[in-house]
Amino acid sequence: MAKVLMKGNEAMALAAIKAGADAFYGYPITPQNELPEYMSKHMKEHGRVFLQSESEVAAINMIYGAAGAGARVITSSSSPGIALKQEGISYMAGAELPAVIVNVMRGGPGLGGIQPSQGDYKQITRGGGNGDYYLYSLAPESLQEAVDLIKESFDIADYFRNPVMIAVDGLIGQMMEPVDFELETPKWDLPKKTWATDGNQKGRDKNIINSLYLDPNDLEKHDLKLKKKYDEMKRDHQRYELINMDKADIAIVAFGSTARVCRTSIQLLEEEGINCGMIRPITIYPFPSKAFDEIPKSVKDLLVVEMNTGQMIDDVKIVNEGKLPIHFYGRSGGIVPEAEEIVEKVKEIMGGE
Amino acid sequence: MKRITIIAGHYGSGKSEICTNLAFKHKVDYIVDLDIINPYFRTRSLHQEFEDAGIHLVESTIKKKLSSDLPYISGESAIPFLNKELTAIYDLGGTENGGRVLIQFSDKIDHFEDIDLLYVVNIFRMETNTVAKIVKSIKNLENEAQLKVTGLINNTNLLKETTEEMIKEGETILTSVAKELDLPIVYTVIHESLDQQKDYSGKVIRLKRLIADKFL
Repeated sequence: MAKVLMKGNEAMALAAIKAGADAFYGYPITPQNELPEYMSKHMKEHGRVFLQSESEVAAINMIYGAAGAGARVITSSSSPGIALKQEGISYMAGAELPAVIVNVMRGGPGLGGIQPSQGDYKQITRGGGNGDYYLYSLAPESLQEAVDLIKESFDIADYFRNPVMIAVDGLIGQMMEPVDFELETPKWDLPKKTWATDGNQKGRDKNIINSLYLDPNDLEKHDLKLKKKYDEMKRDHQRYELINMDKADIAIVAFGSTARVCRTSIQLLEEEGINCGMIRPITIYPFPSKAFDEIPKSVKDLLVVEMNTGQMIDDVKIVNEGKLPIHFYGRSGGIVPEAEEIVEKVKEIMGGE
Repeated sequence: MKRITIIAGHYGSGKSEICTNLAFKHKVDYIVDLDIINPYFRTRSLHQEFEDAGIHLVESTIKKKLSSDLPYISGESAIPFLNKELTAIYDLGGTENGGRVLIQFSDKIDHFEDIDLLYVVNIFRMETNTVAKIVKSIKNLENEAQLKVTGLINNTNLLKETTEEMIKEGETILTSVAKELDLPIVYTVIHESLDQQKDYSGKVIRLKRLIADKFL
């Protein structure tokens, strides 16, 4: 299949179908509705399950059940809906269940608005629900990248037996771009799901899907087992892109749609003779600390740009270890920063004012 | 262009961009945004530009709340059907669901001669990439809208990756659709940045992406 023109939400839905998603459970919310709508039309054609549940809470618990039975499952929602799903997500991490969760972020807190935002950064990267757990979280900046990462994310979820979050904002969900669905994506080496509760006809030991450990020693052992997975994510599976960093005097740190805007800012700055680079986290959990080890000596300042009031700054501070001054520029409430605003901010920093 | 032009098509086919381009070009009296499906990239996002051009924008009853997600349509949307002095462009929501809102005007339409219902097709949208799929989606729209489609718009594009060969490929498919349904290809859309060398069926619209460029 050659390239087709897709809306982000449709493209992510089709990518999940291509990745072999067995079931989708979800509840409508703007700006991600085209994703379940696409699933409602097309999952059946492939002999898969689409179910609109009565609430987000029901949807995530259906995801828990189907994942426990060994199915490849996906749900999607937008910020307030993802907040509702946190209990189920924490239970899934606790019960070691794989799933792909797409968050097409909108403005918050509370009901917020329906325009694009990156306001769930902390919720996504700090777990979100209760207990010691994290989600492997991918933040694509284009539809092609979103498609490729979703195709791979089902493998990642199965590999870690942990939910994977696809963190995009409303703009990625709603915009249109040409996409190729047949590009090769990495295939992970996956063991059989011998743990699944898929019917015990051969008399093997009972499989139990559970996150309840009443004995503190058992629970601590379990927490440490989970921690090993998160340590492996941090050690071996950070993803990031370095853009124009070779001779950069200043480096932007931005992900998702914001990184797209910053690419334009970098071009505009180049026309004015200013060398600006960018570190683009593709995984926001694990945060790509390794990218910061590659910052050349020429870089004198870091500028974090986000569609929120400054949620990623803490992660940048942790990995920067006090080496470079960190600045921030953000828009929130559903406003997408314009390339020129970021250009002005960079010039202000470089001017030393 | 007829006194009233209604633009329909699958979502993401390019309806709103075509509507706004036609509205500014022909300086119509009314532009009516009937899209209650899409939350972003809507015709109404150009409210200031329409006001400056003296074009009356009809949108939700709650005006200029661009971020509202409520399916209201102002009663003003019926005015061009009643006042025969006015010219208007109607922008529908995507797919046949978007056409359903037209039923409310059916008792107000007496002169079908002044009304065009044009169907926009981009063959790079998977739902409209074959003659059979396009014919089916046009019939679905007609059933929902209770109006006959009167013409086709070839908006075949892959955004910045569009070539004239692609547009011609769209024209070949649409020519078959046109023959099957006995419809003309009224317009062919070519982005203003593409260097046009070939001739096309219908009038050529050199498109500016007014709505998307405002966002991106």
